[in-house]
Amino acid sequence: MTVLGYLANGLVFSSIIVLGSIGLSLVYSIADFANFAHGDTMTIGAYSALVTFGAVGGLGGAVLGLPYGFFLALVVGIAVAAVVAVATEKLIYEPLDVDSIGLLITSIGIAFIYRAVIQIRFGSDFTRFDVRPLRPIEPLVPYGVRITLHDVAIFGSAVALVVGLHVLLQYTDLGRKMRAMADNPDLARVSGIRTKRVKLWTWVIGAGLAGAGGVFLGLFNQLAPRMGFNLLLVIFAAVILGGIGSVYGAMAGGFLIGMINQLTPFFSNVVEALPIRPNWLATVIENMITIEYANAIAFVIMVVVLLVRPNGIAGEGAT
Amino acid sequence: MTMSEGALPKEDAVLRVDDLQKSFGGLAATDHATFAVERGTITGLIGPNGAGKSTLFNLISGFYEPDGGTVEVNGTDVTGMEPYQVAEHGLIRTFQTPRKLEGMTVREAMLVGPRKQPGESFLTLFTSPGTVAESESANLAEAERILEDFEIDHLATQPATDISGGQMKLVELARAMLAEPEVLLLDEPVAGVNPTLAKKLKGQIRRLNEQGTTFLLIEHDMEFVMDLADPIVVLDQGHVLTEGTPEGVRNDDRVIDAYLGGGR
Amino acid sequence: MSLLDDPKAAFADLSRPEGWVLGVSVAFVLFLFVAMLTGALGPTYFLFLVGLAGMYALLSFGLNAQWGFTGLINFSVAAFFGIGAYGTALMTASGSPIAGGFSPLVGLAVALVVALALALLIGIPTLRLRADYLAIASLGLAEVVRLIVLNERWLTNGSAGLRGIPGFFDGWPVLSTFPEAMPGLRLEVIPGSPVILETAFWQASLNVLLVLAFAGAAYFVLRRAHRSPWGRVLRTIRSDEDLARALGKNTYSFKMQSFVLGSLIMALAGVFYAHLNLYVGPGDLDPITTFYAWVAVILGGSGSNRGALFGGIVIVTIREGTRFLNDVALPIDPAPLRLLLIGVVIVAVMRYRPQGVLPPQRELIWPSAVGGGGTPETPDSGVRERKGGDDDE
Repeated sequence: MTVLGYLANGLVFSSIIVLGSIGLSLVYSIADFANFAHGDTMTIGAYSALVTFGAVGGLGGAVLGLPYGFFLALVVGIAVAAVVAVATEKLIYEPLDVDSIGLLITSIGIAFIYRAVIQIRFGSDFTRFDVRPLRPIEPLVPYGVRITLHDVAIFGSAVALVVGLHVLLQYTDLGRKMRAMADNPDLARVSGIRTKRVKLWTWVIGAGLAGAGGVFLGLFNQLAPRMGFNLLLVIFAAVILGGIGSVYGAMAGGFLIGMINQLTPFFSNVVEALPIRPNWLATVIENMITIEYANAIAFVIMVVVLLVRPNGIAGEGAT
Repeated sequence: MTMSEGALPKEDAVLRVDDLQKSFGGLAATDHATFAVERGTITGLIGPNGAGKSTLFNLISGFYEPDGGTVEVNGTDVTGMEPYQVAEHGLIRTFQTPRKLEGMTVREAMLVGPRKQPGESFLTLFTSPGTVAESESANLAEAERILEDFEIDHLATQPATDISGGQMKLVELARAMLAEPEVLLLDEPVAGVNPTLAKKLKGQIRRLNEQGTTFLLIEHDMEFVMDLADPIVVLDQGHVLTEGTPEGVRNDDRVIDAYLGGGR
Repeated sequence: MSLLDDPKAAFADLSRPEGWVLGVSVAFVLFLFVAMLTGALGPTYFLFLVGLAGMYALLSFGLNAQWGFTGLINFSVAAFFGIGAYGTALMTASGSPIAGGFSPLVGLAVALVVALALALLIGIPTLRLRADYLAIASLGLAEVVRLIVLNERWLTNGSAGLRGIPGFFDGWPVLSTFPEAMPGLRLEVIPGSPVILETAFWQASLNVLLVLAFAGAAYFVLRRAHRSPWGRVLRTIRSDEDLARALGKNTYSFKMQSFVLGSLIMALAGVFYAHLNLYVGPGDLDPITTFYAWVAVILGGSGSNRGALFGGIVIVTIREGTRFLNDVALPIDPAPLRLLLIGVVIVAVMRYRPQGVLPPQRELIWPSAVGGGGTPETPDSGVRERKGGDDDE
């Protein structure tokens, strides 16, 4: 594959990471804890869409190689993820009398419950959406870009959702309050914002976007009960890279992490071509920058960012 | 009494702060602050809200790293040291709102105080348990003696989470004494403390001072600080406005201006 | 200790949750014992369960030394468990790609050294981080370790794992041949259902002996450390790290010591596991092990060594109970059921009893320092009544 090909893949994968990281970042700052159930919220979105799509079928026409029914399923996936998240907030998190570390630990329990329920219902095997696999778009193949119309649909939908969120944040009252709260929860509280309502909407938006991300992840790869949990740390890496609490930071971080992830094979070619001395170092580096370590690279970046710039690459420097 | 910044060179200063600077996001929180605390005094540090008293405390005790200037404790330059190293040089501080130590009794919480306990070395616990037991017994006896001095020995076996905020302040002071400080920094010792307890605290501080401990204290309660401290250092907008006796400071126009203009 | 002098008072002294735990545990052990005597539960399997419980107790002890004592959120338990298991397996297993054939004692030593190195590698950067960042970073680094074990075939055999690990006592005088040397015993407590004790049983007894030795040593060390001035600094850090720093404690060093101590104990659990299972694979580094340990510790009561022991037993009950349920009654895949139970236990504990079932209650002062060798466990008024009683809502 060419650089262009990797970049195209990166763009698609980034779209999914961005959808996941926005919600995680918002909840981290507004609800004030690291939500380890966020990945499994994505899984819920994916499986809800799977069930819906199986029930309604194609519904006639198709856009970008995806039947209308799939888009209906996408909406249901978003809705179910949002409803489940809000229900969890109301039933579990809100009544708790623990600090943010307690909430973090609780969210791990929640993550397991989500995943267990899905696994009991659907088994632990991989499944796919019942859509016809497509061939790569012909005119792009000579450039080494092998993406399908489905990938275009993922990218396009993600862009639409992100633009929608941007409009919401910039031009609505709710959006302004959310930004204020994400920026400085205490200040927002004293300035009279009804934080409970904003918090609830944060869950709706964050989980909804995660649900969409889950559906697209299922389309991009396949569905499995562990799909969300496996992606969780990559999303954390994106959030931390972008700076916790910053929606636009989360977008940038998600984009970067997604790109780095998909460009890993390209980097490994680059590293091989570089004249690294001594030889043992070259061997080690060549060994580590391979597709198997794509996620590990993201995690290491995350730890480095936490150490040197805990407020994210765009935030204020370390104090 | 109209001493300027820098004040007099003090012969026997246990703490010397020289040209200390710190800014956050371009705003100077501590602006070339210079003063010294003479051994054996109770020095008060006052100033309007936002004058930078807490920042200064954090800089002196090593919790913040200064952008410039130096801090000397007992003649040793401790600038840029970790808080624990500053403490090892004899400067101990308390906090405005002490958090309660969960799952500990009051006397247990007291026992965190003594510095350099042999039992704080993991290996010693196994190689020389006798030494640990000996020092633990001695420390416990000392802790109970100090609690008695503070007239709170009845609290000794209470859970630390169950005592009142005011009592906690007393315990904190008592614990700090176990660390045998050369100079003790108290951050608002009577904030949120009822008058009876505050009076008791004042008496204790005075008693400890007579026994040789040097104090530097931040306090908002003017009556308290004017009655107890001498000299008093006045901080405004991060720098030392003046320094002098309580009467002198009370009658200084600049101090009055600072308080009136400084957000009151 | 007071149990022998004055058993009645010792029981009266138990708080209500302690009484419950004691009662349920005794009933459970009796149940297992009866099941064994009637032949419903194979004695070898019973010992296997005891071994597993010991292993989880070890993991919980390790985590307790980090989270319970110091408040370090370590989500890399599985990595230390796995490193311990791989450390000894790589030295001793016949299928090891790098060494193999060494005595398990060498394996034990190597496992501990490697775990120490890993603890420093993970601890040095992450222990300066805020609590929640430490959680995320440690989970990420544990995943990096898992990926390395999975992918570096030249070192670890990759996904095939390591086979041919000897029992821990292989090559020891007497003990290595002990299982074979022991005669097969046939006990017939209940007529018609004999209990047969064979080589496998004696082998399992040795394993239990091993885990008891490991867990006993860990318990001894932790108990002494917990009630020492060293442990007191850790507990201060847990509540208020700045206070500890202001009082002259080098908190970074203390956190590192607590992290390393806990990690070594986790590695010990891994060493035991390798010689119990005789096979290790990359699956043994699955993060689920981390969360098993977490459930055990928060359920038992953070900071309480007895609680960690209790939690370890509950984990085995969940693990093996779901398997049993699947075999006998409900044909539900045990894996998600376990996950569900773990999740529910976490949420329920945080909701109804955040301090755990057996929180550390007693005043922790070096024993002989209080009242000239008296009983530090019973302060005149106390933390215990309040924290352990039923008025703790």
